[in-house]
Amino acid sequence: MLRVLLAKDLRRAWRNPLPWLINLIVPLAMTALIGLVFGGKSDNGALGRIRFAVVDEDKSFVGDFLRRAATNEKATKNFEAVFLERDEALRQINAGKISAVVIIPTNFTRNYLTASQPVSLELIKNPAESIHPAVIEELLGAAVTALNALSRNFLSDYPAWKAVLDGDADSHQASRLFERAGDKLKAAKATLYPPLVTYERGKKADAAESKGGKPKADDASFIFAYMLVGMSAMFLLFLGNNAMTDLHRELRKRTFERYQTMHEQVWPFIVSKVVFTVVVLLICSAAMLGGGGLIFRVHWQHPLPLLALTLGYAGFVAALFAVLVALIPDERRAGALNTMVGMGLGMAGGCAFPRQQLPAFLREHVTPLMPTDWFVETLRNLQSGGAGVEWRFVLLKTLMVSAVLIGLAAMLFRRRFKTGLRA
Amino acid sequence: MSLLRVERLSKAFGTIRAVDSVSFEVRPGEIYGLLGPNGAGKTTTISMISGLLKPDSGEVFVADAAFWSDPQKAKRIMGVVPQELAIYDELTGRENLEFWGRMAGLSSRDAKARAVELLNALTLTDRADDAVKNYSGGMKRRINLGCALSHRPKLLLLDEPTVGIDPQARLNILEFIRQLRESGTGILYTTHYLEEAETLCQRIGIIDHGRLLAEGTLGELQDRLGGDRVFVLEADFKNSGPETWEGFDRRFRVIQKTEKQLVVAAVGARDPSECLKELLALPVRVENVTLKRPSLNDVFLQLTGRDLRE
Repeated sequence: MLRVLLAKDLRRAWRNPLPWLINLIVPLAMTALIGLVFGGKSDNGALGRIRFAVVDEDKSFVGDFLRRAATNEKATKNFEAVFLERDEALRQINAGKISAVVIIPTNFTRNYLTASQPVSLELIKNPAESIHPAVIEELLGAAVTALNALSRNFLSDYPAWKAVLDGDADSHQASRLFERAGDKLKAAKATLYPPLVTYERGKKADAAESKGGKPKADDASFIFAYMLVGMSAMFLLFLGNNAMTDLHRELRKRTFERYQTMHEQVWPFIVSKVVFTVVVLLICSAAMLGGGGLIFRVHWQHPLPLLALTLGYAGFVAALFAVLVALIPDERRAGALNTMVGMGLGMAGGCAFPRQQLPAFLREHVTPLMPTDWFVETLRNLQSGGAGVEWRFVLLKTLMVSAVLIGLAAMLFRRRFKTGLRA
Repeated sequence: MSLLRVERLSKAFGTIRAVDSVSFEVRPGEIYGLLGPNGAGKTTTISMISGLLKPDSGEVFVADAAFWSDPQKAKRIMGVVPQELAIYDELTGRENLEFWGRMAGLSSRDAKARAVELLNALTLTDRADDAVKNYSGGMKRRINLGCALSHRPKLLLLDEPTVGIDPQARLNILEFIRQLRESGTGILYTTHYLEEAETLCQRIGIIDHGRLLAEGTLGELQDRLGGDRVFVLEADFKNSGPETWEGFDRRFRVIQKTEKQLVVAAVGARDPSECLKELLALPVRVENVTLKRPSLNDVFLQLTGRDLRE
């Protein structure tokens, strides 16, 4: 009977494909959109070289210093700096050929060294890109911090440094200047070393790095996989809600009631609708995780657990919304509540924000109980290494919760029918 | 032996008693009409008989076995046609019949064969492979009916099967139902159309506010009015009425009285011309008198004090 019920639903969906196509297109569009927003990756899945322009209107040693720094071997691995005139740089950024333009304005060095007036570097970011300009901005921020630190410590010596750099000082003056700088750095050493705060790479990352055989996901790929898993879990909640509205339609059209005039047990009908929703969710998951994986060049480290966990999670989502239909048979009233439930589960389950950023109470007492959290955390852990991740236990837990929810939905429907359910 | 026996069936929703101690039975080869206005309790009664609703009290017997002792067995004996079009618009007529046939327990092959038979009987063969959403209202009603017949039920529960369709389509459905009765199917037929109950049903139960007010054949119900004729008088009854006319209640039974109209039936077997003379001699200026056979509406009027068509 399950097969007949499922075939009926699939045939109906095939005959009226528009709502289901929308269900499929939304996650695909979202994945593509995010791919475009976070675009700019190279073919190997990394961020690629960041091409930016430097406009040196100061024509001083700072520009030369930047030119040398930008062309050394280490920098060229990640950056490609091109030195252009302002007009050409702006033309190239408009054409999308560069990610950002850093402009060193006229008299920047003189004003900085004499501290005669505040100085600023100019940054123009390519609005069509997201990550690359942000990286340049971060780098520029670090450079500004360093310049400020230097300024605070060596401000009194700046005129002398300027004279040395301009070639206006003799060797005695220069040697005294170096001696003073050396003394200052020596004094600073006591406060800079050993550093008060340090960090070291986590053990999980080390384990992943040392693991042989499988290719290690690079950082950028991991970030996208991390995001994609959370986003997919969230979307599957909304898509599950959409798919389960078919049960509302069956109530409204009285076809569920008609089924009940032929059969005493309601659970086959509920299970068939859950299976139908799971099929829809699996197709959407393939679009999101598979399609998204292709767009972001994510190499899924453990495809079998990924498939099994997605199947279990889809079952949970379908069963959950079946319970909600039983609780609120009216489609219009259920709409708002179901959306809120989906949002709540997604947020509290660490789909939208990393679990660590959630409020302490949620993080410690609520999130660990959420199947959304089980799903996303397990997949993220698998993707970041996978050693010791008990995905089979998580799958079992999720399937058990799904079974309980299906039983609850069947019981609620039975009770409501006997007391006069009307959609 | 009765196919369906309902004994003192009651159901309340909060403070509203939707069905109040209703009893009747349906025999093989009989169409039993449950006639009443909207909200009378007809659908609630059918819902309880088909197991969709649990009664607060009372019993339902299907083929002399208590329904709730083995609901699945009882459901196999009956076919239910809901008032709503409980069919799938996206599927074709044939697919709907096959699907509900499978749900009723037929094998795939039997469901296909039965669908062909039903399409033929319902004169829908030429549109069998069109999606139901493209059908007319009458065609949808026929498919809705056919979906309950796949497993050849001995007892058929029809809940207002002709609502909202044109007269020609209604005649087709009524003719099909007559054929079912002739084949021995017992049918419970709820309607608020007087003509359907009068022309289709062997026995009729009149239901209002959840209570079965009267039941019997059409003749038995007409006899309740005291004969096979009623008189309709049109006059100004604002200032003068039967209660002021001496001895009127011994000769006539008032069925309905409004300010402009009085419907009465003669008490006992009396000559209609005598009755007419007496009515014209009443102390009121009669503008028109009509003599007619009492209808079910007149019976309903007498029982409830209001018109079924209101």
